[in-house]
Amino acid sequence: MKMIDTFLMSFRLKNAYQTNGIIYSLKSIPVIKKLLPVSLYRSPGLKRLANFVSILWEIISTFLSKLLYLFIMIFLLKDHMKSSPANSFMHIFFFLTVAGVFLNTQIFDPTRDKYYAIFLMRMSARKYMLSNYFYFLLKIVVGFLPFTLLLGLLSGVPMVICLLMPLFVVSVKLVFTAFALHSYVRTGHAKNENKLNPVALIGIAASLVAAYLLPFLGYAMNGAIFLTLFVISAVMAVFSFSYVLKFREYRSICKELLTADSFVMNRKDMAARAVQKSLQTNIEIKATSSKSGYQYFNDLFVQRHSMLLTKSAKYITLISLTVLAFSITACFLIHEAKPVINGMMLTFLPYFLFVMYFINRGKVITQAMFMNCDHSMLTYRFYRQPRAILFLFTERLKSIIWINLMPASVIAFGLPLLLWLTGGTDNVLNYVLLFVSIVAMSVFFSVHNMVLYYLLQPYNIGLEIKNGTFSILNSFTYFVCYFAIGKKVPTLIFGTLISVFCIVYIAVALILAYRLAPKTFKLRE
Amino acid sequence: MKLILNHVVKSFDKKEVLRGASFAFEKGKIYGLLGRNGSGKTTLFNCINEDLKIDNGSILLEENGMKRELCPDDIGYVLSTPVVPEFLTGREFLKFFLDINVKKIPDIKPIDEYFNFVKIGMEDRDRLLKDYSHGMKSKMQMLVSFIANPCILLLDEPLTSFDVVVADEMKRLLRQIKKDHIIIFSTHIMELALDLCDEIVILSGGVLENMEKNDLSNEAFKDKIIQALRKDEND
Repeated sequence: MKMIDTFLMSFRLKNAYQTNGIIYSLKSIPVIKKLLPVSLYRSPGLKRLANFVSILWEIISTFLSKLLYLFIMIFLLKDHMKSSPANSFMHIFFFLTVAGVFLNTQIFDPTRDKYYAIFLMRMSARKYMLSNYFYFLLKIVVGFLPFTLLLGLLSGVPMVICLLMPLFVVSVKLVFTAFALHSYVRTGHAKNENKLNPVALIGIAASLVAAYLLPFLGYAMNGAIFLTLFVISAVMAVFSFSYVLKFREYRSICKELLTADSFVMNRKDMAARAVQKSLQTNIEIKATSSKSGYQYFNDLFVQRHSMLLTKSAKYITLISLTVLAFSITACFLIHEAKPVINGMMLTFLPYFLFVMYFINRGKVITQAMFMNCDHSMLTYRFYRQPRAILFLFTERLKSIIWINLMPASVIAFGLPLLLWLTGGTDNVLNYVLLFVSIVAMSVFFSVHNMVLYYLLQPYNIGLEIKNGTFSILNSFTYFVCYFAIGKKVPTLIFGTLISVFCIVYIAVALILAYRLAPKTFKLRE
Repeated sequence: MKLILNHVVKSFDKKEVLRGASFAFEKGKIYGLLGRNGSGKTTLFNCINEDLKIDNGSILLEENGMKRELCPDDIGYVLSTPVVPEFLTGREFLKFFLDINVKKIPDIKPIDEYFNFVKIGMEDRDRLLKDYSHGMKSKMQMLVSFIANPCILLLDEPLTSFDVVVADEMKRLLRQIKKDHIIIFSTHIMELALDLCDEIVILSGGVLENMEKNDLSNEAFKDKIIQALRKDEND
């Protein structure tokens, strides 16, 4: 079989299960689920549609990921550097590319596709790996080219360099891959790129520092240096290419990377497993409770998980206190700081939406609840009685709100205090609103996480999220909070709106939870 | 007391798993529910336990000639894979369970007596359940299913995870409590079913069928059961 046939076959294979994946996630969205029968996986029309979506996604992701990367990581930041935009663009691009080779080599990424194709379908490892690797490189060139041209030219980078940038990425990837393959021959050990070793971490950190710090201080490479470095890497890449092509031991590399334990270790699974493991090892035996029944149960749960729950909340509280103390000191020592902080207090409240989102422990808590408690307890019928569910829901909600209020209260008292210390405001309402809206946001996120958990119960035992709605709502929450960053809205307006919103939301969410949770809080197959 | 299944139908999408299963299970007997992989044993249990809604038919309990719907307290269900809250110790789990069922359990005994009943050693009673072995977790799960004294006990492949000694203990235990209970015991290990159960019921083709042993020798009875289970292939 020719290499191109192997590639087409592997592409079809990947497409087939991506297609099924799309149908599966469609089925996990309510409403749509009801409309779709099981025989769906066989339905030719829908299959064609999903197949089309899958291919479309392949094309879009090829371009979109590159565009976002260049735009967010380089284009937006280049103007904040001391060096010229053009030089900063080239410089950051160069070092991010270097950092990137540690993170994404394609060959050393253990993915399910590889496992399915090479071990289950018994395709030739070398042909499979090489053809997919070249496809990966091709996607880099095609995906990068329009945007290095567009964004590069906009930043004032010479056209030649814009055209060469994608080739530079390919060269660096090739050189690094050849090195990695060679190191496999030497050591006999294939490094899973998702399990970063200290050398790689240092490499990434150093590249990132070089990428941003140097141009920030005014030391960015110019076009001549970039071209020189490009030529060097291109020459090395030619040799590397022939090494990669002639390399014979792809099968044994795959064997090491794709053993039963590690082939599921892509980043997402690894994160889930790490959480799972830490949830289970972080149970502390030392705890007692004088309560009884469900209160006893919840009390022990919270105490046994204090490492995950209360301790980290305490750390955050401590950090908040430190930041507050610093700001207060700054007010007294640096005279210019006062008006700045005062202005921030009056316009920067949206920023705290993200902060409150970020410090809320709700998600970890619900994960722990599921992993260490509910996934087993929900098999007991007494635990699923509406009364039991609602009683425990209330107990848990109290605990979560309480835990999250620890750091929140520091912020809630700290902000008005800072406002007052920096010269105050004419409108007393500002003090009240700062306090109320922080507390409201804290309670809001606690309720939000708990209610989503009880209404959608998205986890399965692997802590994989098996509920489309949950993922959508979660991302939505994140984006809303993220977009609040940097928005300057007077505290009077934002504080009022957010407080009212939180209170209404909390009321509605709780009513929904009390109505629906007895039906929705259950195990998923 | 009888558990009466009357023409129970259950399907998933278009796959009909139970096609009008009918049977009367009586108190004082251990029923061995035999069926091939995927024949619907667990589905049947989930239907009796009301984890799944049945599409048609009825599941009723007959007491002193009166039929009534089942309620949650009637059933103890032991799953094939034991699940216990990992963050509690054995003793705490029992305390919690007794706390919340205090009204339903007529004569609550000291916690240690319950541990003695299933032979969980002193040294293990105050350890976290996450550190219990598979067999000990199973024991805990059985224990909480027994304590509330439900009249129906559903056991889904319960003995397969025990070592021979514990399996023997559990068999004795089941025999000891059978006179007050309706015990249905699903398995696909025929020897176990023949050894422990008073009646063999097979689930095949979505219906329940009682296997009469009559005067058959064990070997002949086994052949008869296998013949009956084979019917599934022709469907």
